[in-house]
Amino acid sequence: MLPFLLRRLLQLIPTFLLGTVVLFMIVQAAPGDFLTQLSQNPKISADRIDALRVMYGLDQSGLVQYWRWLTHFLVGNLGLSFSANRPVWEVVAPRLINSLVLVVISTVLTYSLAITIGVFGALRPYSLADRLLSGLAYFGLGIPSFFFALLALYALVVVKQNTGWDLPIGGKTSGALDDPGFFRNAWDVLLHALIPSVILALRGISSESRFIRGQMLEVLGQDYVRTARAKGLGSRAVIYKHAFRNAALPLVAGLGALLPALIGGAGFVEVVFNWPGLTPLLLDALGTQDLYVVVSTTALSTLLYIIGNVISDLALAAVDPRIRYS
Amino acid sequence: MTLTVSTRKRTSSRSLYQIAFAQFRTHPLARFGLLILTVLYLAAVLAGFLSPYSPTEYESGATRVSWAPPTPLHWQSGSGPPGLVVYGIKREVDLLTFRDNFTEDRTQAYPLRFFVHRPEARYRILGLFSSDLHLIGVAAPGKLYLWGTDNLGHDELSRVLYGGQFSLAIGVIAAFISVGLGMLFGGVAGYLGGWVDAVIMRLTEVLTAIPELFLLITLRAIFPVDSNPVVVFYLIIVILGLIGWGGIARVIRSQLLSVREQDYIAAAVSLGANNTRIIGRHMLPNTFSFVIVAMSLIIPGYILLESGLSFLGIGIVEPYASWGSLIRTAQDGGFESINGRPWVLIPGLFIFLAVLGWQFVGDGLRDAFDPRKRS
Repeated sequence: MLPFLLRRLLQLIPTFLLGTVVLFMIVQAAPGDFLTQLSQNPKISADRIDALRVMYGLDQSGLVQYWRWLTHFLVGNLGLSFSANRPVWEVVAPRLINSLVLVVISTVLTYSLAITIGVFGALRPYSLADRLLSGLAYFGLGIPSFFFALLALYALVVVKQNTGWDLPIGGKTSGALDDPGFFRNAWDVLLHALIPSVILALRGISSESRFIRGQMLEVLGQDYVRTARAKGLGSRAVIYKHAFRNAALPLVAGLGALLPALIGGAGFVEVVFNWPGLTPLLLDALGTQDLYVVVSTTALSTLLYIIGNVISDLALAAVDPRIRYS
Repeated sequence: MTLTVSTRKRTSSRSLYQIAFAQFRTHPLARFGLLILTVLYLAAVLAGFLSPYSPTEYESGATRVSWAPPTPLHWQSGSGPPGLVVYGIKREVDLLTFRDNFTEDRTQAYPLRFFVHRPEARYRILGLFSSDLHLIGVAAPGKLYLWGTDNLGHDELSRVLYGGQFSLAIGVIAAFISVGLGMLFGGVAGYLGGWVDAVIMRLTEVLTAIPELFLLITLRAIFPVDSNPVVVFYLIIVILGLIGWGGIARVIRSQLLSVREQDYIAAAVSLGANNTRIIGRHMLPNTFSFVIVAMSLIIPGYILLESGLSFLGIGIVEPYASWGSLIRTAQDGGFESINGRPWVLIPGLFIFLAVLGWQFVGDGLRDAFDPRKRS
């Protein structure tokens, strides 16, 4: 197992390096840099801007800058955010955690509901309930996430006006609480995160439930399932112990690419609901050409993809007895 | 001894595409999707004819009509010929809420006319035919806002129809670019193998590792946010095309790897065919069924991404409109916009329909080419 892990990590290192090089080149390709906007300000003299340029290292060539950033990144120093004048990690970490809150809640919702719906649809194919759920799945796939978020806002405001039921609409916490305890604060954040997570989960549920349904239908038609039933195995054992374990294999294999897709996918919903996550930070940083925030954030997510891939490979080996990494 | 030729009935054989086409036609969802798409694309091509105004027409000053509700049509059968009629719009500022109230002025009636000429709203169909004929209209100073207006007073119906031109075209063109790049890189990687293969596969992994939205925003930021809108249009197409070729390249490569060992390739090589001929004439045509299905499944994703970018303000910008930017205008109006003026969210419905149509068609094509799903 360990040599396999090491081999896998070695394979993914060129991907990581290539990804960061590509990103660095893209961000540097934009004309000007962070100090360009400062040069518009007449109060800042040209000498000061030159001094800042040397201090930030923006006067070096692209290669030197990249090397410096890479060596710092590998020891944990993600660079300096120019606009916030603080280390990038201090700026990015809270945003990353906020995004992860949404991602974790929506992932839990997605998989628990998708598996339930998918298996149910496979057990009663083409029934009325199955057709209804398939229709809803098409609806969930077709509707843009930001549009659905706006509709949800509309519905929430109407509900609030008609029933006085106050569901939080935007932001992460209500500013109105003075000095809340930890649990009160956590409950508040959870309430705020609920609607965005549900909207995020919708698309995941739509695609995963159809996928699981298709896989289950295929597996349920196999001979060994027929044998198990003929043997007299109870329905529950056949479905969950035999059929679902085989149907879920591609699902486990796909977990690796899930994490970066989720973090990026939370973007539009974060913008609509004013949730302080990674995407609003990235949009601001791109507007001001805050080089290290952009590169380090995206490098972090590349790292997450690599880690997620290794985890999904391990999980696949644990679940699929045909795969043995020796 | 002469051989007698047995008179058998000639068995008809069908090619793969004929079989797939016949399968596709029996798929009810796919037919429905095709119908939706036909309507949407026809409406986009004929946008100039179907919209009463041009998308950039608005009035400012005392006669401005921002955020007007949809103009109600009335059936008038009193004096004058019977027909649909629109009343004049009067704008009053409500002194309590400081909102604009638009009321009908029943003293002025403008009949709805068909096939009107409006020289101030000329358009070109497909860039070829120029015309100023519009399907419906009312005589000035009457106003026909069937779906209301936006914050500046543009007619929403015209903006949605013209916006469809952008949203629908970008999806298709970007998909062509992605598929072209995917076939090129996948073909090269699959056929040449070795280090070329390894580098291209690492590149596709990089594309998967970086979150799509982040990559899009980063690529967009290479050009200034306030670039020329036409440049931005082509830029969005190229960017979308650049991020999507990875998946296609990987599948084409794996298909080529399996085809490469076949006998007919060895025969072609021994007959002296060069690399280009083998790849282009023998190997790649086998991948067409996958390419057709992949394209129809990529296009809805691109339509969603483009509308998302326009929603964030870094896609199609003024003076052009795309469905995503129309929703952005709706959101910029604040809660009041969505609450008091729900008609501004109509473009979202169109995005939904376009994506749904392409998904139905894509599913239908996938089932049509699947040899296990013959009926």
